[in-house]
Amino acid sequence: MRDNIVADPARAADYVNAAAGTVDRRIFWDPAIYQQELRTVFYRSWLFVAHESQIENAGQFVTTYMGEDAVIVARGDDAAINVFLNSCPHRGNRVCFADSGHSRSFVCNYHGWAFGLDGDLKKMPKLGLYKATPGFRMEDWGLRRARVATYKGLVFATFDETAPSLDAWLGDFRWYLDAVLDVEDGGSEFLPGGATRSVINCNWKFPADNFVGDIYHALWTHLGGSEPTLGRHGGVIVENTGSYHISVNGHGWETNDSFLGNAATMGDRELLRYMRSRQAAITARLGKFRADMWGAVASATVFPNFSFLPGYFTFRTFQPKGPTRTEIHAWTLVPRAMPDDIKDRFRRGSMRTFSPSGILEMDDGENWEHSTRANAGYVTRHQTLCYAMAPGGRIDSADLPGIVHQGQLSDANQRLFYRRWAEMMDAASWDDISLAPVTRAEAAE
Amino acid sequence: MSTAPEKPDYSTYPRIDRAAARAAAAQLLGLSGDGPPAPDAVWRDIERFYAREARLLDAERHDEWYALLADDLFYWMPLTENRFRRDRRPTLSPEHMALFDDSKADIAVRIGRLTSNMVWTEDPPTRHVYCIGNVEAFATPIADEFEVHSTFAQYRNRSDHDEAVLFGRRRDILRRSDRGYLIARRMIVLPQAVLLTKNLTAFF
Repeated sequence: MRDNIVADPARAADYVNAAAGTVDRRIFWDPAIYQQELRTVFYRSWLFVAHESQIENAGQFVTTYMGEDAVIVARGDDAAINVFLNSCPHRGNRVCFADSGHSRSFVCNYHGWAFGLDGDLKKMPKLGLYKATPGFRMEDWGLRRARVATYKGLVFATFDETAPSLDAWLGDFRWYLDAVLDVEDGGSEFLPGGATRSVINCNWKFPADNFVGDIYHALWTHLGGSEPTLGRHGGVIVENTGSYHISVNGHGWETNDSFLGNAATMGDRELLRYMRSRQAAITARLGKFRADMWGAVASATVFPNFSFLPGYFTFRTFQPKGPTRTEIHAWTLVPRAMPDDIKDRFRRGSMRTFSPSGILEMDDGENWEHSTRANAGYVTRHQTLCYAMAPGGRIDSADLPGIVHQGQLSDANQRLFYRRWAEMMDAASWDDISLAPVTRAEAAE
Repeated sequence: MSTAPEKPDYSTYPRIDRAAARAAAAQLLGLSGDGPPAPDAVWRDIERFYAREARLLDAERHDEWYALLADDLFYWMPLTENRFRRDRRPTLSPEHMALFDDSKADIAVRIGRLTSNMVWTEDPPTRHVYCIGNVEAFATPIADEFEVHSTFAQYRNRSDHDEAVLFGRRRDILRRSDRGYLIARRMIVLPQAVLLTKNLTAFF
């Protein structure tokens, strides 16, 4: 009945049945689908590449990935943030091998071609050798640049010249993002020390789908991890009253109105005392609904692979490394105005819960690995997965932009995530990709 | 009155403050192995201590391992980044994100997770083999504390094909007490900048 042993469908939409709540397992395994994702999803999307606080001064840089494309993110002398391929156009070698640092230029190890903070080719040894080459121009051989845009400290980039603006791409999701990015004057920052990085042998969509809407797993997966910190307080409690699934353009956020629900599992009373002391001010700034999201039982994914957890404030990318391999790059984000002692408590709190040694994250990886690995089986791969949970109806409220469903124990956001995925996979161009109307032109008051 | 066992209140467990943690990190970062060697008898006792410690961890005898930790423990696995040699920023810093940055109370929480019987990803259990080598012990200005450097290989295997191998270096301050040796400070440095395994469900 649920076997789906048919020739691979021509359209990605045929792998996803949002109405019935099913997703074909082949999309977590098939190498051809993965290659198509790099072309249609990762190439077209605005992808998170850095936080501005990592590259505050001219010459500062970090290296990261957009899809499987290695890129350098550098602050130029004109204060602009530049993003360009980390691969020399001469013979293709990687140009920069450091994760972060400060530099005036990036010099390829192979033949010494040197590139500026804007990616332009500045010089190479024995430039005169090219003098006799008809039409050779230095400006034709810079590092391929991406478009760059920021939202409240978060730096995004895309190589697609036809993509709409970042503001249109995020749309009204910006209004919700302010619940973690704009809680205090002065904006936010990443805590120092670089990204915490680890490898999970899973398809990148499983963690992205987990963060876009799946609090359901916490009730079972994280029983052991939450026992020591929450056990005295009755374990993991999640209800569908006072909780929501919010989706805009495939980005999704599941949350309740607990204000401190996630934060409490770090088991640090000083942190909770501090957060409570800020509740009235944040409520005055953002209104009650968004203030309650700050530290709530919640998770979110900015489509396709940038996710975060309110309360712990771990922000992470799920970098695709093949159809069955994903690298997690994670940072902790805090308001700049937060006292140093509290920032340090978040550094330790997010590490102890959501890092490779975290008492909660350690429960997750194996689930995603085996959800992926099982698809090696031919019959297994030709099954559909169940995304049918729909306990609460859609809420139409002028106060809450986007597609909002009642109840955070739900698959609503996941269905919208995969619908978006299929839409981008099948689109011939950006003309075929929908964007929700922006109703909050100025996301923050 | 309820007969259910009282759940531990970890806020009452031993914890050092941030100033003490920073001082401990500074001490560990400064351990260069240049001091006077510890007496051979001490060195032999420490080798024996490490072999037992590894065996307790391999056998998931967590409570007995926990008893080897001093109450003022600082247990630290800093993050490693790929940096240019010319980069003047400190490579390892207690202000940076870390993989472990723990007091004894935090270790108790981790053991509380493992012994909850609800960690499904450790059931069936992972099998561990923990090898300690290159042990060097040095005297410190405090008579009963020793600076110890060692290397380790930690092999984990679970399920059918799932394995993880981690190599690293440790720097310890071991304290001789009437309960035997205690781990007062430990710094664990993994050479991997990207952790090539999905988690660190283990102690080092």
